[in-house]
Amino acid sequence: MQDWKRQPGFFAGIAAAPVTWLILFFIVPLGIVWAYSFGRNTGLTSIDISGTFANYARALEPLYLEIFLKSVAVAALTTLICLIVGFPVAMAIAFAAPRWKPWLLLLVMLPFWTNLLIRTYALLSVLGTRGFVNQSLEWLWNHVGWLMTAIGLAEPGPFEPLPLLYNNFAVIFGLVYVHLPFMVLPLYAALDRLDKSLIEASLDLGAGHWKTITRIVAPLAAPGIISGLIITFVPALGSYLTPDLMGGTDSQMIANVIERQFKRANDWPFGAALSFMLMYATFILIALQALRNKKIEARS
Amino acid sequence: MEQRTTTLAELANRRSLLKGLGVAAVGLSFGGLAACSKESGNSTDAAASAKIAPTGEEPKLNFYNWDTYIGETTLDDFKGASGTDVNMSLFATNDELFAKLRAGNPGFDVIVPSNDFVERMVTADMIVPLDHAQIPNIKNIDPSFIDVAYDPGRKYSMPYTWLVLGIGYRKSKVKPVPDSWKPLFDSDQYKGRISLLSEAGDLFRLYGKYLGKSVNDLTAADIKTIEAMMIKQKPFVKAFHEDNGQDLLVKGEVDLVLEYNGDIAQKMVEDDDIDFIIPKEGSQLNSDTLCIPKGAPHPKNAHAFINYLLDAQAGKKITETILYPTPNAAAKALMPDTYKNNPVVFPPAALLAKCEYAKFRPDMQPLYEEAFTRVRAA
Amino acid sequence: MSWLRNRTPVAPLEYGRRLWMRSWIAAVALFLYAPLLVLIVFSFNDSKANIVWKGFTFKYYGKVFHNEGLLTALGNSLTIALLATIFSLILGALAAVLLWRFRFPFKASVEGTMALPIVVPEICMGVAMLVFFAAIDWPNDLVWPLSLGAITIAHITFCFPFVALVVRARLASFNREEEEAAKDLGATEWQSFRDVLLPHMKPGLVAGALLSFTLSLDDFVITFFTSGPNTITFPVKVYSMVRFSVTPEVNAVSALLILLTVVLTTVALKLQDISAEAKS
Repeated sequence: MQDWKRQPGFFAGIAAAPVTWLILFFIVPLGIVWAYSFGRNTGLTSIDISGTFANYARALEPLYLEIFLKSVAVAALTTLICLIVGFPVAMAIAFAAPRWKPWLLLLVMLPFWTNLLIRTYALLSVLGTRGFVNQSLEWLWNHVGWLMTAIGLAEPGPFEPLPLLYNNFAVIFGLVYVHLPFMVLPLYAALDRLDKSLIEASLDLGAGHWKTITRIVAPLAAPGIISGLIITFVPALGSYLTPDLMGGTDSQMIANVIERQFKRANDWPFGAALSFMLMYATFILIALQALRNKKIEARS
Repeated sequence: MEQRTTTLAELANRRSLLKGLGVAAVGLSFGGLAACSKESGNSTDAAASAKIAPTGEEPKLNFYNWDTYIGETTLDDFKGASGTDVNMSLFATNDELFAKLRAGNPGFDVIVPSNDFVERMVTADMIVPLDHAQIPNIKNIDPSFIDVAYDPGRKYSMPYTWLVLGIGYRKSKVKPVPDSWKPLFDSDQYKGRISLLSEAGDLFRLYGKYLGKSVNDLTAADIKTIEAMMIKQKPFVKAFHEDNGQDLLVKGEVDLVLEYNGDIAQKMVEDDDIDFIIPKEGSQLNSDTLCIPKGAPHPKNAHAFINYLLDAQAGKKITETILYPTPNAAAKALMPDTYKNNPVVFPPAALLAKCEYAKFRPDMQPLYEEAFTRVRAA
Repeated sequence: MSWLRNRTPVAPLEYGRRLWMRSWIAAVALFLYAPLLVLIVFSFNDSKANIVWKGFTFKYYGKVFHNEGLLTALGNSLTIALLATIFSLILGALAAVLLWRFRFPFKASVEGTMALPIVVPEICMGVAMLVFFAAIDWPNDLVWPLSLGAITIAHITFCFPFVALVVRARLASFNREEEEAAKDLGATEWQSFRDVLLPHMKPGLVAGALLSFTLSLDDFVITFFTSGPNTITFPVKVYSMVRFSVTPEVNAVSALLILLTVVLTTVALKLQDISAEAKS
């Protein structure tokens, strides 16, 4: 990493576009909403920016903190499952023969070019009480029952469909389903063209596959894993459609509450305050991470 | 047979088939192709209303509507009659409509808010009064819809459809017939087989009805009582739905839903084990209306369009498509008896008498929302 | 039974050929594709809604080609996604190189800010863009495709940080010596960027492009708030169908889109193979 002063021209050339865009089309609009978070509603469409902290005080009430923590737990679990499921997939793609790579990537990405609502409806059909899964299980159950009576055992009772929908299981299932490629892609990008000789050396020296993966591959792919974790966790935390459509009566997540403020409740200042609480927390985490990296760089 | 006819029709309409493939293949040209070749190819009904006088404005209209909430040929018929091109954009809920227009009208001429949002938008000065002189078809509207609490004398809005909330249920699984709100709101008889509408205001108001009060008379103390009742009932509710409860009912996920009569009536066509009833304690009425937002670029076209939608023939075609109850008496008269006498679409007057329109109350709405967040989090 | 045994022994790194890996991939594929198969099957469903199977019919595929609204919406979405991806790649790659290569004052804040578009709840961003475009009086009656400008700008804004993140992770494995070697041989800064750094970034760029295209194609909330009267997109159209049930037409369109993607990718890869052969 070099100091920008050493090549100011190149630095300016690289920095100009992204920074300007970020400021103009992101900071400024968000700034307006940030100002709202310090305001209050005066009438239905006007907001008076009075510099009040009332919205933030309300956002810190136990009711909302509890919802926030619950959302973090759900998002964390989703991310963990995505990591466990996605890592082998990313490895398979990264170590595949070059002619298969694009096809495998396409295989992973293709479902995600289908509209989210349609996919969710399809998931609802698969997991529903009279959905695909339950109907197959029922078929199996009935045939097992026949078999058991044939042998002479007592007949099993009527088939109870599995409650796969409208509960927290469904929410996590749906979230994993939606966010899996966001984990696979960065992992693949980091694992691809990983120096294979290191892995071969490790295997030659007697470490088993598991040890090689945990001690050699994972640390080398760490930046990819971390970026995968981030771009899976954060959108999962902010998802509201999946909990809405697939969740039960107690599957409310923080994004549902925020959405309610901007829409039904017409309380933009409070919605802004809740949104920014989320953002402050993440901003601090990422800035801390960056500072930590800076320290590591300085040391080496 | 149908498959063959479809293929033949497609072959006959080669241009449309090629257009479809071209768009799909190139993507970019898609929008362009569709934009320039406005191929209507639909009939201009001979019985449609006479040609409408040109209004002197540019012949365009931006219509912001719910999806499929219009007849199949209505927009083309209107173009044939008046030469005005209607461009229909979509929204899915009233709040989205309000949130979008809050910051200023991005160019819509006619919008379709529900009754309580008409009040909201009038208070917020977002819609303009209608010029009845340009809407002679107002005479087609049933007199009971002219002087309504949310818009006396129809100053700002024209009624498009009306709805009433009630219980949709599966006859074979729900015995006896649920003629009260109790099985839905206050009992574990059908636990795990119930789905409620996810709209805080409606829920609180209907609980109020169950407790014997008017929908517009709830107090903060009532909210506390109802919140406790909801939390008690929550374990027996399977899911909160976003106005698609009729799907859950048809799929067999639940046996009782809180839904609009029009939605249930649409599903009853395909599944005759489903029925609908308004509970004896009474319920809440709704009405979707046509309004002109402030800053509309083509107000005269907008008036002409609203007038056209209220025409008897046009109204009949719209109702045939969407099958919701219509406030247009002239259109209703032209509909078949299966519709006019359908007790789900037009419930008995005795029950309707107990139903009220919800008034928009800016002081209560935030309280409903916060209480509902608490119920969902409990 | 010799065909059951592998002809060539599996090399230690050929994870793709191991049984457990193959079963895992198969399970994941089933997980990902089962709902899609259901979706395709239901596109032949002879019923207005997507709920219960009523019979086989092709009529919804026919309806798709006559449904101008749906097709226009799809065209708009594809156009926006394409434009957004191109610009996001450029901005994202620049941002990634900036953060990876240079030390500069306030770097930590810039990193944090760059990550914010990923964190912002979509509705908050949607409202922010709505208010912003209203405040600067963005014109609403531009001709197509400029009318999609507001939506595209919003999409680029939330897509490029994803690209930046993925590309940056990729850059972490770059060997500076390669770049120094190029410079020793006389390359300028921009030349070494183009010929040494860019090829290394390629997997990251590909992954970023795929991510960005997906995010843009599927976005609803932000698009809803930035779209004008004549700019409906596919997700907005589909979401607005919820009130009255999603018809099998939508399934048909999705099935066609999937088919199209597979066909286009096959063609693109075949062309690549042909050009690679021609070169060698």
